[in-house]
Amino acid sequence: MVNVMKGVLVECDPAMKQFLLHLDETLALGRKFILQDLDETHLFISADIVETLQARVDDLMDQLSIPVHDKGI
Amino acid sequence: MVLRESQAHYARMSESSKSKSSLNLNPSPTLQCKDLHEYLKSRSAQFLETLYNYPTICLAVYRELPELARHFVIRLLFVEQPVPQAVVTSWVSQAFAKEQAKACEALSELSVWQEAPIPGGMPGWMLALSFKKNLKVALLGGGRPWSMSSSLEPDGKARDVAFLDAYALERWECVLHYMVGSAQTEGISADAVRILLHAGLMTRDAEDGSAVITRAGFQFLLLSTAKQVWLFLQHYLHTAEKRSLSAAECLAFLYQLSFSTLGKDYSTEGMSNNMLVFLQHLREFGLVYQRKRKAGRFFPTRLALNISMVRSGSTPAPLCAPAQQRGYIMVETNYRVYAYTQTNLQVALLGLFTELMYRFPNLVVGVLTRESVRQALRGGITAEQIIHYLEQHAHPQMLKSETGGIRSSSMLPPTVVDQIKLWETERNRFVYTEGVVYNQFLSQADFVVLRDYAKQQGVLTWQSERSRTMVVTRHGHDDVKKFWKRYSKTS
Repeated sequence: MVNVMKGVLVECDPAMKQFLLHLDETLALGRKFILQDLDETHLFISADIVETLQARVDDLMDQLSIPVHDKGI
Repeated sequence: MVLRESQAHYARMSESSKSKSSLNLNPSPTLQCKDLHEYLKSRSAQFLETLYNYPTICLAVYRELPELARHFVIRLLFVEQPVPQAVVTSWVSQAFAKEQAKACEALSELSVWQEAPIPGGMPGWMLALSFKKNLKVALLGGGRPWSMSSSLEPDGKARDVAFLDAYALERWECVLHYMVGSAQTEGISADAVRILLHAGLMTRDAEDGSAVITRAGFQFLLLSTAKQVWLFLQHYLHTAEKRSLSAAECLAFLYQLSFSTLGKDYSTEGMSNNMLVFLQHLREFGLVYQRKRKAGRFFPTRLALNISMVRSGSTPAPLCAPAQQRGYIMVETNYRVYAYTQTNLQVALLGLFTELMYRFPNLVVGVLTRESVRQALRGGITAEQIIHYLEQHAHPQMLKSETGGIRSSSMLPPTVVDQIKLWETERNRFVYTEGVVYNQFLSQADFVVLRDYAKQQGVLTWQSERSRTMVVTRHGHDDVKKFWKRYSKTS
């Protein structure tokens, strides 16, 4: 017997994977979305969450960034 | 063994996938700029057949072919019967089989040659009749003289190259100006607007029906001028048929122009009415110059001459004489951008990816910020395009400046180049692939069989033997499923 699931394969670095796991565990997007944890850099998630997820990751990046330039006078 | 779908889940997924079939998982739409080869490849064989009735096109196609393919064409040009494929193969040593396959493919794709059986049943190659005939005309002379070459009285008001360059630039910038929405909307016809809309470079605003620029349009603006013109004309040709112009005839005329001499005037005598209409359109976009509509003569400009230069990898000759093509942008290591320019177009282009701070009569100061670059990236512009644009228009002073001891191929400060690239990769930390996961195999053997099948079909995206899990692409799923059903029945 074989089990089949449709979804989206996500490839990312280990740090980002941990962030996704965190989002999943804390139900930050309202529900669980990880269908299967594949390996260090791969996750299988449901397709309908992708857009929300992208927005969320963008937010994270915004928080992480520090303005590097000097607008000066 | 049976293939069991996790039913409830599957139903939910397929429903959502239906509504999201257009969901773009990796939103980096890139503007396709096909060269002549790719453009012709995408057209029908009949269209090519008509095209090969024009010697200029044959010559242009010949020049675009891979080197080996050109060699084949010349060898076959005067052979009046099919040549066995084995003979063609024997012309190239085994070490270069790959190049040969590429050359053969190119010739077939463009219908330059066709397969022809040889008595005795061997497959052979034969150059397309019209191509053969007209390439001979192009190379050796003969045929009808160019309609536009009929002799003209010397023009009392002949225009020099500098004038033509300025004219072409002004006309083309008119189109670009319109796209960036500068107030200067005069001088662009409804026809040109229609082409921009058709090309998807602009779109009608939902509210007031005015044309606004699209993502593709932004990318278009950062292309080199030769590429812009060629892309624009491709779309023109697509819409040409609706205007009862023959695309083949127009394309042939364009290539005829591209083989003409800059600064020389040509006669409109003997041109058909359709071509005269086409000429007026070209005049509007600055590809040809005419003093008056009925002047009876026209001058091709550099825009027209550069059409045949659009090749991936080759650098087209600059649109204008070097003196006018001077760069105007300075980039400093502190992300500041100084642009010595007066034209609104260049300011608007710079505004696509920099935050403008000051504007002086001949100088604009801006700064590259994360936000401004991300804004551009969201608009579909790539980091590579931004860097290329800054390099292409770098102020001569930038060439002299030291890059702080760091050797770099670019004249831009390495920090800035790296940072722009980092801002881009930051957005792409995830790679999404729609797919289907297979797991819970009962035996290792089953897993290996299915995995190897998927791999062989080129649809496998991820697999792990230890957990007996594999992921195949969405479109490969049906095929793999069928194979699994067949396989599990027999075992």
